Amino acid sequence: MEKLRGKVALITGASSGLGRAIALAYAREGASLSICARRDEALQQVCAAVHAFGAEVIAINADMRSDRDIERLVVLTLEKFGRVDILVNNASELGPTPLPHLADYPGHAFADVIDVNVTAPFRLTQALLGGMLLRGDGVVINVSSDVAVHGYPGWGAYAVSKAALDGLTRTWAAELEGTGVRIHAIDPGDMDTAMHRKALPEDDPAALARPEDVAEAFVWLAAASGPTPAVRLEASRLMEEAALV
Amino acid sequence: MRGLRRDQVRLLVLDRRRGAIEHTRFDQIGDYLLPGDLLVMNTSRVLPAALPARRRDGSRIQLRPCVRRPGAWDVLAVEPEPPHRNVILVAGELVEIGGRLFGRVIGRRPDIPLLWRIQVVDDNLDPFLLFGEPIRYSYVPEPVAIDYYHSVYSTQPGSAEPASAGRPFTWSLINRLRAQGVGGAEIILHTGLSSYQDDDFDREHRLFEERFEVGAETAEALRNAQRVVAVGTTVVRALESAVAPDGVVRPMRGWTDLAIRPGSELRAVDALVTGLHEPLASHFDMLEAFAGRGLLARAYKEAVERRYLWHEFGDSMLIV
Repeated sequence: MEKLRGKVALITGASSGLGRAIALAYAREGASLSICARRDEALQQVCAAVHAFGAEVIAINADMRSDRDIERLVVLTLEKFGRVDILVNNASELGPTPLPHLADYPGHAFADVIDVNVTAPFRLTQALLGGMLLRGDGVVINVSSDVAVHGYPGWGAYAVSKAALDGLTRTWAAELEGTGVRIHAIDPGDMDTAMHRKALPEDDPAALARPEDVAEAFVWLAAASGPTPAVRLEASRLMEEAALV
Repeated sequence: MRGLRRDQVRLLVLDRRRGAIEHTRFDQIGDYLLPGDLLVMNTSRVLPAALPARRRDGSRIQLRPCVRRPGAWDVLAVEPEPPHRNVILVAGELVEIGGRLFGRVIGRRPDIPLLWRIQVVDDNLDPFLLFGEPIRYSYVPEPVAIDYYHSVYSTQPGSAEPASAGRPFTWSLINRLRAQGVGGAEIILHTGLSSYQDDDFDREHRLFEERFEVGAETAEALRNAQRVVAVGTTVVRALESAVAPDGVVRPMRGWTDLAIRPGSELRAVDALVTGLHEPLASHFDMLEAFAGRGLLARAYKEAVERRYLWHEFGDSMLIV
């Protein structure tokens, strides 16, 4: 049975890696999709692949640093589908590579990372939350990271931004209690993606999880019925517990 | 806007039964609502509807689309800078937005000569979303980001101007009212323009068609409500437009040109939350239908004396 039939999902950063994998998995499960990314050509390819599942899809070129792009994304999505049931804040900016230590971090790059990884999820969630609260139903999933919790040298602004995103998620979850709207932060773990290769070029790709497998945790979380899942989750544990692998 | 939380603006309460006027703060509105009351909200999302356009001679103008029908939009054409006087277009001329052809001017709209009908190249919202700014009147001295115009529940895009009566609501207030037993329901009414940038024309208080939708769930909720509290005159217009001959609101979508004037009978709405606007506006006519001239005049006098703030970022009023 399709687990997301009739649902509308908006996924940011859907042109590659985890975002692309989530888009394909949600489409397979019957969701209608609004997908966005900065790179239009790659996004159009994902759009075509999603379309092949028979999913209704709108692909929007958007830069999460731009308030105008975020508003356009919201308006075009609501104009087409009338609502969003599942928001996946996946778009992330890693920052300069090779990863500089904080002492060496360029200030404007720091601000860029915070804009994309923290401010954009805040704005997008806020813009779509109104409809969710009116219906008393909706799920927001923020893509976090292990670096939000552990201090590794070199993860700089990215680590700071993911810790902030965890904080945003925690506070918002407390405020949304009892409304029927859920918000989660999920740590997808180390995956074989372009971002991972940029951050840690020496890692062996064969030892990393595949984004397509990790995407199953996002399907499970979006469709979860029964007891409310924890606010912060790790994809690997979720997949073991839910026997998704 | 004033460094206040949305729900910290002032609230003037007009109690029609007692003929009384009270002054409080918006977040205290629950004191005047009862379990079983139904707040009906307009969830239309305002578009940045002041579009920077260029004529073929290179001169800049601003277009304000207010009625959009497939292939043909009715727009106000004004100068790009304040005081935004009307600009005379020529039938057949081409207009560009963002360096791309936007459309061809068909001519004046016969019933509203200040509006120009334009045959548009595309029906999509990109002229608004890529290039538009919120329509701003002289009482808002600096540009304001579009999210300040949105209500916290605005969803369905399509209004030319904000349905601003809902602006003071916060989710913490709405959730508190819900816990108090006050229900909520939605309609959509996409607003047109509140001013045609022409004093003589604006003084006639003419109202033109706006697109609206009242859903089945809302019609059902209305049947079970003790009192129907409209959040904004747009909600009154939508609900009263959806009243069937038997006096019951039915699900309906379409265009309405209903005007509610002093003496109009209100069949769907019992109470109203609204902003404060100049007594000249057509808005005031509708308020008079609710409160009657005497009480309303007293309320406005007190609002002026106590320096209530007017317009979309100003204070609020509840008529019960």
